[in-house]
Amino acid sequence: MAPRVRSDGRLDTGLVLVCVLLAVFALILPRRTREGFAATLRTTILSPLVALEGRAASVRAAIIARTDVLVTRGQLATQALQVKAVADENVTLRKLLGLSARLQDGFVPAELLPPRGAGDDFTIALATGSDAGVQPFLPVVTADGLVGMVQSVDRATSFAITWAHPDFRVSAMSVDEGAFGIVQPHLGAGAERWLLEMRGVPFRATLQPGTLIVSSGLGATYPRGIPVGTVLGELSTPEKWARTYLVKPSVLPNAIGPVLVLLSARTQRGVNGVWTTVSASDSAARAVAAAGDSLARAAALDELAARRAALDAAADTLADSTLAFVAGGRSTAADSARADSARVRDRADSVARARRRPDSAKPRVTGVPPAPR
Amino acid sequence: MRRPQQQTAGTGSALLAWVGFAFLLTANFAVGPLFSGRATIDFIVIAILFSSVRMRPGLAAVTGLLTGLAVDALAPGSFGAAALVLTLVAFGASRLKAVFFAEHVALTGLFVFAGKWLFDIAMTLLTGGTSGTSVIVTLLWWSPLSAVLTALLAVLLLTVFRPLYRPHTN
Repeated sequence: MAPRVRSDGRLDTGLVLVCVLLAVFALILPRRTREGFAATLRTTILSPLVALEGRAASVRAAIIARTDVLVTRGQLATQALQVKAVADENVTLRKLLGLSARLQDGFVPAELLPPRGAGDDFTIALATGSDAGVQPFLPVVTADGLVGMVQSVDRATSFAITWAHPDFRVSAMSVDEGAFGIVQPHLGAGAERWLLEMRGVPFRATLQPGTLIVSSGLGATYPRGIPVGTVLGELSTPEKWARTYLVKPSVLPNAIGPVLVLLSARTQRGVNGVWTTVSASDSAARAVAAAGDSLARAAALDELAARRAALDAAADTLADSTLAFVAGGRSTAADSARADSARVRDRADSVARARRRPDSAKPRVTGVPPAPR
Repeated sequence: MRRPQQQTAGTGSALLAWVGFAFLLTANFAVGPLFSGRATIDFIVIAILFSSVRMRPGLAAVTGLLTGLAVDALAPGSFGAAALVLTLVAFGASRLKAVFFAEHVALTGLFVFAGKWLFDIAMTLLTGGTSGTSVIVTLLWWSPLSAVLTALLAVLLLTVFRPLYRPHTN
């Protein structure tokens, strides 16, 4: 037993010495020889294991890459949202630049100041005031159309009411001058709060959905031709002598960005051709009269007379007599004309003293002369 | 001094041992790359240590040499270093198998830890890839960390795959 154990021990020792010598020999081989031998092993005996290792490395790379892809995707999504916001702002500013170019002069650009606290959602603060020539009752517009009217002015800031403000009124007409009326807030619930309605449209005038409504210029607050909205449909009202239409505003709430305030001189000069091209108010009234409808003719003539009277009264500073004359019983058009033009000292379109709405303050047909029998 | 009684393994035990060895060798190439980092689990060291206790020292040295050559084939820059170190580790483990696997799992984990750390020290000295403070950091931080992970896996394998890795005694 002992000799066997000793021989086994010598055998083990001999084997380990041989293995150590072979390993040392492999260490001291020339580099090229070592690499050749290693390549031979990799391509023959070890090729399945090498393939396994390569596949495992690919899996690990894919896992790491997926994390990178997710991170990159998140960054791209964030950048895409920012790019869209920047692009939208770019479009808005470009449109405003185009409007400025068409207007050429007579306006003041204004940035919107951020709202402070829970205030009126329908009043906007402008970063321009009396120092720049802004005055109360001046129109506020964007490239899309009418935003509202300046209500109060400080030296460097001013406040304007938007079309959704309860006190907002504008005398408007269809772009083909076939129908006149007063546009005011719809005062609906939810999203409809931001819609408008055009009241006092003569019964004979039918507006199709999609018809563009622009300011008529009657009243001298808003010049003729500023887009106000587009007709959505007719509303049913108790009034049977006039129609009321639901109007989608041209300027959407989220699109109220930088605005232009039209100065008095520009307002008086008019903005025909800037947004739309419409004919003068006198010729428009005559066109209505020429339609052959006796009622329309009378209404149109009364409207024209009322407007002339209002302008004369303003020129002669006979405000009270003019109001009395106008209030002395004329037509539907005269009522609508009065609503935004019967202001001598104060422009009546969107006066804060909305104690009564001009379209509903009096019966529509009060001023219509009796038809000849 | 009487040599400790040699453990005799039957054919079935030997077959199981080689199956376990092949399993760990394959895991080194198939699973190892998934967890590559500064601190790694060395399946090769576990395979050598577990197989050495079932063999004569001489045969263990041959196994270590061949396994080391396979590892060196993938790193030809230090061809022969792993062969030398694994030869010595396998021979030493076989000679110490009576203490190495004394039916105590924690003790087994301790010796796997020591075997892996010694392997890393020897490889670092032979290859000379790092120098300066990085050598100290590698030998005193990352190598022991790798040794701990390797030892934990060895204990887990010894517990879960007992028929494969537990040496049989007569």
